[in-house]
Amino acid sequence: MLKQIPLHELHQQKGAKFAPFAGFNMPLNYSSVADEISAVRKNCGVFDVSHMGEFFVTGEQAVEFVDTLIPNNFKTAAVGKAVYSPLCNHDGKILDDLIAYKISEQEVLICVNASNIEKDWNWISEAAKKEKLNFELRNSSEDYCLLAVQGPKTESVLQPLFPEVPLSSLSYYSVFKYQAKSKIPIIFARTGYTGEDGFEVFCDAQTAQKLWLDLMEAGVAPCGLVARDVLRLEAAYPLYGKELTDQHTPKECGLTWTLSKIGKNYIGKEAIEAKPAKTKLIKLLLESGIPRENYKVYQNDVHVGHVTSGTFSTTLGKGIAIASIEAQTDNSKGGFQIEVRANKINAEFTSKPFYQGVLKK
Amino acid sequence: MSHKIPSELKYTKDHEWALVEGNTVTIGITDFAQSSLGDVVYVELPAVESEITKEQAFGVVESIKSVSDLYAPLTGIVVERNEDVINSPALLNEDCYLNWLIKVKLTSPSQVDSLLDAESYKNVCQ
Repeated sequence: MLKQIPLHELHQQKGAKFAPFAGFNMPLNYSSVADEISAVRKNCGVFDVSHMGEFFVTGEQAVEFVDTLIPNNFKTAAVGKAVYSPLCNHDGKILDDLIAYKISEQEVLICVNASNIEKDWNWISEAAKKEKLNFELRNSSEDYCLLAVQGPKTESVLQPLFPEVPLSSLSYYSVFKYQAKSKIPIIFARTGYTGEDGFEVFCDAQTAQKLWLDLMEAGVAPCGLVARDVLRLEAAYPLYGKELTDQHTPKECGLTWTLSKIGKNYIGKEAIEAKPAKTKLIKLLLESGIPRENYKVYQNDVHVGHVTSGTFSTTLGKGIAIASIEAQTDNSKGGFQIEVRANKINAEFTSKPFYQGVLKK
Repeated sequence: MSHKIPSELKYTKDHEWALVEGNTVTIGITDFAQSSLGDVVYVELPAVESEITKEQAFGVVESIKSVSDLYAPLTGIVVERNEDVINSPALLNEDCYLNWLIKVKLTSPSQVDSLLDAESYKNVCQ
């Protein structure tokens, strides 16, 4: 049974095309995808990503529990900061990727992928049972909507709508909990999945509806999942199920930077440290044509891997891809090719994201 | 949503249009096709002098999200291809009837009878 997100009708009114995604009927696009992408890169766009999961960890030792749960350092993060991390099993394989928001020393919001809500909830609940720590766990995914307002003009659009919230003083990867008149508090996070400045607003359906209408009134572009996928690929962010899977460790997916190096314990640590990476992710720009998932990747005619995500970057006017290739491949040798309909097309290796907007310091 | 279906053209169930003028036919994609695709960002067409075969794939159109084959309405030899569309695929979204893809010299002119007229094609789009 396909779930409807609470603002479904508002999306319909804006002419959204819908498609099933992770069990939810989600807006794919409203008008031209290229226009939606351009709105986010140059102005401001809003994505209803209410399908995402929200878990709260609260109590005396909430932070300590989250710190043992994820490979990235969480205990050392300042209050009001957010931390991106994979979530791993005991074999060091990736179950999901998430953002943990340290709202206070006693309250943590974990935002997880819609497709993994149930799996993550079961995993985290089991992990919680084994820890003799004092905290509570709550799955609030049904209570929270999530609007991602993204683009360089976001702050100037959003701040006037919430004059009492210090949005302009929040830096990238910061979080602020606002006890509004609404049933549940509104949580503002300066995070996103587009490579642009912006805010993700966690709130109840009523607040989300009002915010959506206010944003439409302000001329913010409604954007769907297709634009979101291009934007995240341009920013070279991995997607669970494509770049990140339960067949890979963080080291194999460009996430070595998320692995704590300060000697803390976390689930999967021993396995991750013991296992050498068999594969790695690289970024490729195609000379012509559009790379797609599973297209073969070659280096000087030797098959070395496959495309995990590929699309046409409307911002760059080029085909771009993230590919998973054998770990021992020497990137600096270049000579990469992607096979498109039986033709090997030259692809340029790049170590930087395809696109990076200006983030708030 | 209603789509433009010019009455002077012939159509295939795969959403290509064909303008038959004597032994030469001009081929493009229909309004239904371009609007279902969304932003067209890449077009691949056969070289001049290559042969295309009725109901076989002769090229590709790609939107941001999808890859779609183009199917030949008729068999023939490519005499011209529209380089403008290859260089600016968005032209197909702007006007898919003005911006044709290829012109073909028919090798089996009788195949023209198998194409759909505007009225029959309208039913395909429903």
